[in-house]
Amino acid sequence: MAVGATTRPQFDSTLLLVVPAAAFMVLLFIYPFVYGLVLSFEPKEGGALANYKFFFTTDNEWPTIWTTLKLALPATLINVGFALPIAYKMRVKSPYQRWVTTILVVPITLGTVLIAEGMLTYFGPKGWLSQFLQFFHLYDGPIRLTHNYWGVLISLVISGFPFAFLLILSYITGIDPVLARAASTLGAGPKSQFRHIYLPLLAPGLAMCFCLSFVQAFSVFPSAILLGSPAGPTRVISIAAYEAAFEQYDYSLASAIAMIMGFVQLVIVAAVLGLRNMFYRGPVTGGKG
Amino acid sequence: MKHDFSELKLDRVTRRFAGAGGKAFNALDELSLIVKRGEFICLLGPSGCGKSTALNCIAGLMQLSGGSIWLDEQRIDTLPPEKRGFGMVFQNYALFPHMSVAKNIGFGLRMRGVPSSEASPRVAHALKLVQLTGQEHKLPGQLSGGQQQRVAIARAIVIEPPLILMDEPLSNLDAKLRIETRAEIRRIHRELDRATIYVTHDQDEALSLADRIVVMKDGVVQQIGTPAEVYSQPANLHVARFMGYRNVLELDVAGEQGDRIALRGPDIGMSGVRKQPLKGKRAAVAIRPEEIAVGQGPGGVNTITGRVDNVEYSGRDSLLDVVTSSGTMLHVRGPVTTALNDVVHVYVPVERVLVYPLD
Repeated sequence: MAVGATTRPQFDSTLLLVVPAAAFMVLLFIYPFVYGLVLSFEPKEGGALANYKFFFTTDNEWPTIWTTLKLALPATLINVGFALPIAYKMRVKSPYQRWVTTILVVPITLGTVLIAEGMLTYFGPKGWLSQFLQFFHLYDGPIRLTHNYWGVLISLVISGFPFAFLLILSYITGIDPVLARAASTLGAGPKSQFRHIYLPLLAPGLAMCFCLSFVQAFSVFPSAILLGSPAGPTRVISIAAYEAAFEQYDYSLASAIAMIMGFVQLVIVAAVLGLRNMFYRGPVTGGKG
Repeated sequence: MKHDFSELKLDRVTRRFAGAGGKAFNALDELSLIVKRGEFICLLGPSGCGKSTALNCIAGLMQLSGGSIWLDEQRIDTLPPEKRGFGMVFQNYALFPHMSVAKNIGFGLRMRGVPSSEASPRVAHALKLVQLTGQEHKLPGQLSGGQQQRVAIARAIVIEPPLILMDEPLSNLDAKLRIETRAEIRRIHRELDRATIYVTHDQDEALSLADRIVVMKDGVVQQIGTPAEVYSQPANLHVARFMGYRNVLELDVAGEQGDRIALRGPDIGMSGVRKQPLKGKRAAVAIRPEEIAVGQGPGGVNTITGRVDNVEYSGRDSLLDVVTSSGTMLHVRGPVTTALNDVVHVYVPVERVLVYPLD
């Protein structure tokens, strides 16, 4: 293991390999972030906080936080909630494992725009789904699954699910199956094995997966425009920022909105990661080795 | 699930696996065994001999491909592991890393719905039995290997199972701890008065622990017997090799008189006892190094002359490699005064030369 950990470490020249990545981070992430932050406090008119004041007092600006949360939170819960049982089923090697995994993961290779195109064809008022349902008289009412809240939610699930699934699958397969077998010899049926062994050991991973999925969903933009109604129920916070930047050419306000967006994400992520600390975190094997 | 029983019966238990190229092979081939209450059984064999497969089949972690398992009159091989209620100790312990020692040990009781007022004293008793009192609030990761091992044992025995299954439980421990824990396992077994089935590849472990040893090879039982039987009267050449008969010589059969066989090599002539019917004119003799003495036999019987080619000092005596003029090598335990290149006579009593057909 850490041989010579007590001796004073020599400078390791391979550390220099980090320099390009660090420079990349500073130039393309930290600098723009700080620039945006500073810019957000330099509004076109008014005091330093004028942009923030404007956002939180204007009737079609501040509600975008709720609009986005109303999309991102359910989408994340659905993605993580469905990915968990499916990944749990897929944890053991089987002939189907590869096929199911492949099929579930395909949407990750499609862009949001392509998914939106497909959904418009499939879920639209004259799409295959409604034609199918009406042909068999399964449901005769009008089906509106595009250009509204549901369209965006479905697209967030389609694009976000594979991500959550892959992440959880890798967490689950990292748990030593001998733990579940040990539990079974102690009288735990399949349900108890999941509840008492897998779930507690997965909890930190699920929290991580929730955070990543949430951040992804919260920054929804193309599908909110293509599949939602960007003027109303799916006017998400990124649309507000986009409009400020490229319709009103107010980069300062746009920066302020982007900062608020980042802050909301940070609050949710911090809350979830705080919950994560209540669970066991450590190696998920049952013994030496 | 019952706690009391009089015998566990394995009836031609078979487990097949798909091997390379889709060809199925029997990892376990028709194992039949009756385990009485109170018995300590060791399944002994090299890795890949099917001993762990047998244990997993008994525990219910593996389905049988054939045969049946009975606990008294109840057929249990169709039950899932959680309905069999056998305690199992895994090779890597399989402690739940997120639960404290006490929770790990109490897990089986919790799954059985035992109220905590009744469970806590039982957990405390199990902790005492494995001498871990005071460690109950630690996580497994904070314990040493030996302590983890004892938690695993406590967890398996606290549910008072009719049968305790152990899969090479000592293989991760160092030599000293292994011998200590070995004695503890034997003591716990006596105290509980249930039955234990113990898998190991270490013949010393099997000899010291077991009431009966089941020696296995390639999924097939080679011999079932008491440690003394397996040690001194191996049923075949494989068991002999495994039990420490390090000298296996191929010789010509020169004569037979009942079980007494006279054998001859280029510069060796010896008599031995037949343990299995012989095939053809050649046979193998198996001799344990400890049973070869340096010196002449009575009347020169079974005496071999050779040069000492290697000496390994081992304290009380030395392990010698004695090579005859034709190049046959014998491992011998001899006095520490023996030096390299000494010419010595060595001798084996006739009844300790075991004769088997060639394999």
